[in-house]
Amino acid sequence: MKIRSLRYILKESFVNAYRNRLMSLASISIISAALILFGVFYLILINLNHNLDLLYDKPQMQVYCLPELTDEQVEAVKTEIANNEDIESYKEISKKEAFDQLKEYLEDEKKDLGGANILEGYDESMMFVSFTVKVKDPQNSNKVAKTLEALAGVDNVKYSQQTIDMILKVSNWVKIVSFVLIGLLLVISLFIIANTIKLTVFARRKEINIMKYIGATDWFIRWPFVFEGILIGLLGATIAFVLVAYIYSFAQPRLAEEFSGGLEMVQFGSEWGTLVLIYLGISAVIGASGSIMSIRKHLHV
Amino acid sequence: MVEFIDVMKKYPNGTVALKGINLKINKGDFAFIVGTSGSGKSTLLKLLMKEETATEGEVIVNGYRLSSLQPKQVPYLRRGMGMVFQDFRLLPNKTVYENVAFAMEITECLPREIRRQVPMSLALVGLSRKANAYPHQLSGGEQQRVAIARSLVNNPALLIADEPTGNLDPENSWEIVKLLSEVNQRGTTVIVATHEKSIVDAMKKRVIAIDKGRIMRDQQKGLYGDEDTEFKIYS
Repeated sequence: MKIRSLRYILKESFVNAYRNRLMSLASISIISAALILFGVFYLILINLNHNLDLLYDKPQMQVYCLPELTDEQVEAVKTEIANNEDIESYKEISKKEAFDQLKEYLEDEKKDLGGANILEGYDESMMFVSFTVKVKDPQNSNKVAKTLEALAGVDNVKYSQQTIDMILKVSNWVKIVSFVLIGLLLVISLFIIANTIKLTVFARRKEINIMKYIGATDWFIRWPFVFEGILIGLLGATIAFVLVAYIYSFAQPRLAEEFSGGLEMVQFGSEWGTLVLIYLGISAVIGASGSIMSIRKHLHV
Repeated sequence: MVEFIDVMKKYPNGTVALKGINLKINKGDFAFIVGTSGSGKSTLLKLLMKEETATEGEVIVNGYRLSSLQPKQVPYLRRGMGMVFQDFRLLPNKTVYENVAFAMEITECLPREIRRQVPMSLALVGLSRKANAYPHQLSGGEQQRVAIARSLVNNPALLIADEPTGNLDPENSWEIVKLLSEVNQRGTTVIVATHEKSIVDAMKKRVIAIDKGRIMRDQQKGLYGDEDTEFKIYS
């Protein structure tokens, strides 16, 4: 292909797509749908990964003692923690501190609870002592947790590994479901694009035939159709991207508020670039292969 | 220019369309190929254009050995020959000028060359004044002349016309044949497949008669089919 033919090829592909606009629209919609779905799953995964990274960065552990523990018993647990070589530092949260935290929390929520003072008649004796432990190496979290859990008087140990495991499990499922769904939709898009191009090819079969006789190379004949497919793909990708970006920018602050304290939502910046590249790649490849599929048989003159 | 050596063509369904074809058409020749439909005439042309490939033997066109020609090379073979068909095969949504220019666009010629060659080619067929008309605004004869202009615009060494007068009235047919003859006088080898007796007889050119897949007669300055007086020359 020579550069001066590019103008001809681009013009032809636009004209073809326009003449065949109903099918072009159908193809654009289906490829957008596939890519929107892809975008949604992609963003979910990005967010899950982001939270995983955050959890890896703070190797903290909560050790909860049984409420009926005496001061001596608590002291014994504390000594064990202090003597554990895998633990970098720890902080004791006394019953009183725990009670104050609860009180503060309930004060904030008072309005929602109808103004009633739920804690009336209770005091700190209902609370339990806990320790916030920082592990030297997050890799050892599991081992440390087991040791601490085995101590007399310790009720349970909560640490980020459990959350990490849960997030990993969720993100694995998201991956599997999204692969299947997106794969399916992409295959459907491929066939719809192939069908659209087939209609164009059919409408122009006489022209193709004439071109073959005059001595046009196969690629010269193919290019306008391939470009038509790519054009359809790119339009679909653009629509999908705009919608996904809009939806995310709308949902991100709201979801972030919803999850505050638990999960953190990614502020999008550099990630958009990756998504754009993936979109362009997928749509162009689907568009081009759809057209090549459908012109192959018409080129044998 | 064109040579058939012991060519046999058998279609996948078992029909033997051509058998024992030996033929040589030299540069600058004008040859009629005559025969009824089903005689193998169309197959012969298809072999020339490499639309079909000979089952046995060799076809040489313009120095290309067609039996071993790669599909990728076929466009370049066809650029060396102009083709004219019974049904003109013009693009209805392009003007006369654009139709002729199209043949140069698809072979990726320079725009400068296109602007020079197309008017020359249209002048040759006498249609300069109709350059901006659309095919449906032209008579059949004029449409065929546009097709000839298109086939000549890339200066092919060989022009193949398949029933070029099949859709035309006698007067227009004559115009076309005279035009083909002019083209031949300018040095282009011309091969015309036809079954129009009056034209063949009047032109007194080489006649290659095909029947049942064989060359029945190959005669310089021949007539269409005067079976009684015919003398056969097997090349």
